[in-house]
Amino acid sequence: MMEEYKRSKILLVEDEETLAVGLEYNLVEEGFIVNWAKNGREAVDFFEKGKFDLIILDIMLPYINGFEVAERIRKSDPHIPILMLTAKTESNDKVKGLEKGADDYLTKPFHLQELLLRVKGMLKRKSWYKSASEKQPVYKFGSNQINFESLKCLHNRDEIRLTPQEAMLMKYLVEHIGEIVTRKELLENVWHLNPEVETRTVDIFIARLRKYFEPDPSNPIYFKSIRGAGYSFEVK
Amino acid sequence: MRGKHSLFYHILIFIIAQLVWLSLLGIWIYWYVSNYIVFEKVGDQVSPQLVYDVQNALPFILGLILLIGLSFITSLIFRHLNVQLRLTKLYDNFIGNVTHELKSPLFSIQLYLETLKQRDVPAEKRKEFIDMMVKDADRLQSLINTILEISAQETKKLAQDYRVYKAEIMVKELINEACEKFRVTKENLQITGSPSCEIVASRDALKIVFDNLVDNAVKYSTTEAKIAASLICNSKKVTISFIDLGIGINAKEQKKIFNKFYRIYNKEIPNVKGTGLGLYRVKEIIKAHDGKILVYSEGEGRGTTFKIELPTYSSISKRRLKKFLKTE
Repeated sequence: MMEEYKRSKILLVEDEETLAVGLEYNLVEEGFIVNWAKNGREAVDFFEKGKFDLIILDIMLPYINGFEVAERIRKSDPHIPILMLTAKTESNDKVKGLEKGADDYLTKPFHLQELLLRVKGMLKRKSWYKSASEKQPVYKFGSNQINFESLKCLHNRDEIRLTPQEAMLMKYLVEHIGEIVTRKELLENVWHLNPEVETRTVDIFIARLRKYFEPDPSNPIYFKSIRGAGYSFEVK
Repeated sequence: MRGKHSLFYHILIFIIAQLVWLSLLGIWIYWYVSNYIVFEKVGDQVSPQLVYDVQNALPFILGLILLIGLSFITSLIFRHLNVQLRLTKLYDNFIGNVTHELKSPLFSIQLYLETLKQRDVPAEKRKEFIDMMVKDADRLQSLINTILEISAQETKKLAQDYRVYKAEIMVKELINEACEKFRVTKENLQITGSPSCEIVASRDALKIVFDNLVDNAVKYSTTEAKIAASLICNSKKVTISFIDLGIGINAKEQKKIFNKFYRIYNKEIPNVKGTGLGLYRVKEIIKAHDGKILVYSEGEGRGTTFKIELPTYSSISKRRLKKFLKTE
């Protein structure tokens, strides 16, 4: 199972040398290929020149901070998984990171095992999304059309562009069409976050999808709420 | 955001308080004047001989003084509160920075220990990891020392071990050591001047001074740090000019950089790590040496010059010398 992620290329962006050397060693031991960028400027340079499967990004960086790096990377690659690291415990930072395009978040200090599990989880999700969207790149329901590769969507005649997180959620719902999916399940599989963190995140994203695709977002016919359970995606 | 909010409330409370005083003042005047008129009328009717003298105006004047005094005191309290607020904000910043600075090396050590525990690390790597841990432990220690020694009193205690040194040899040694520590290459360091005078100094304390200056030069340079130092001496003082080609400091901030907790923010290099205590300590140490430190910068992007003046051994009075060297 693990074999398929070996040789994945990881861009490690961390300005604390001692920390970076330790992280790099552990990631290499797991079979990843690691490039280490010491600051925000190097990170953007590396990213433009090489092809990576995942980015581990510190927030407090010289020259260009982690948020900005994430934003720049997101502009050119909507799919690459970004794992943010920070020493700050403020949840503001976390929300900001996720808004700027990070997929997941770890607060320093974390345990080595936790980092490795997250990295593997993110790579797994990436490959799941990739294979799933290759199988069925375009999905249509009602007057909507979603392209999971370019993330471009049509609602009636209007063009919308999904964020990677929205696309991931949409993909998951499409794969579980007609089933009841709980918020906990969505947080674990789509966000890979601890379900105790914030179930409200799920609600916010569902509301966004309703706004994009429902004929009347206040009376949803596709993205239905199941009281006390979660959501269900239904197409008749 | 929150800071702004609370400042707004304070200003509002201040304005309301002043309005209350002013209206009280108004009511007071009104009451007095209307009373006066009634008195006058009634008085005229009852006994026209009654004369109002100065004594009747006394409570009025006293009341006025009291009210004006109170509003003046409110202003004073408000000003004092503002100063406190600003300090608290700086202190909050400091706590945030220090937390980050303390966590990072500790986390790094923890990571290496976990790695060594979980993996079979080859001997060579193990040695490298241990070196890294030692480095982190040093960092932690120097940070903790900085925090503990922030008060001027503590700095004086630190600068205890005064001896007579040859200025040239010691200063050059200290700058070279600092440059090695913060990885400034030999090509980027230039020290000129070879004065032959002697100074009375604490080597440990001056080491902190030059470590801080070099560290700042490195942290506040957008490219590799370049440092030029020069030493000049006359009969009274040794002048050490320490020039870096970093981002420079604008005139407004030059006054503040020696303040406790003060830190510069520059868009070119955000996220510079530090506690805001470095230059404060530098200044305290130089002061303890009876010296002076000045800063010049032509502005942002033009580098910074620190000028340190220390009295020469021969110029220090005997009494002061006794105190420094603790000789009887």
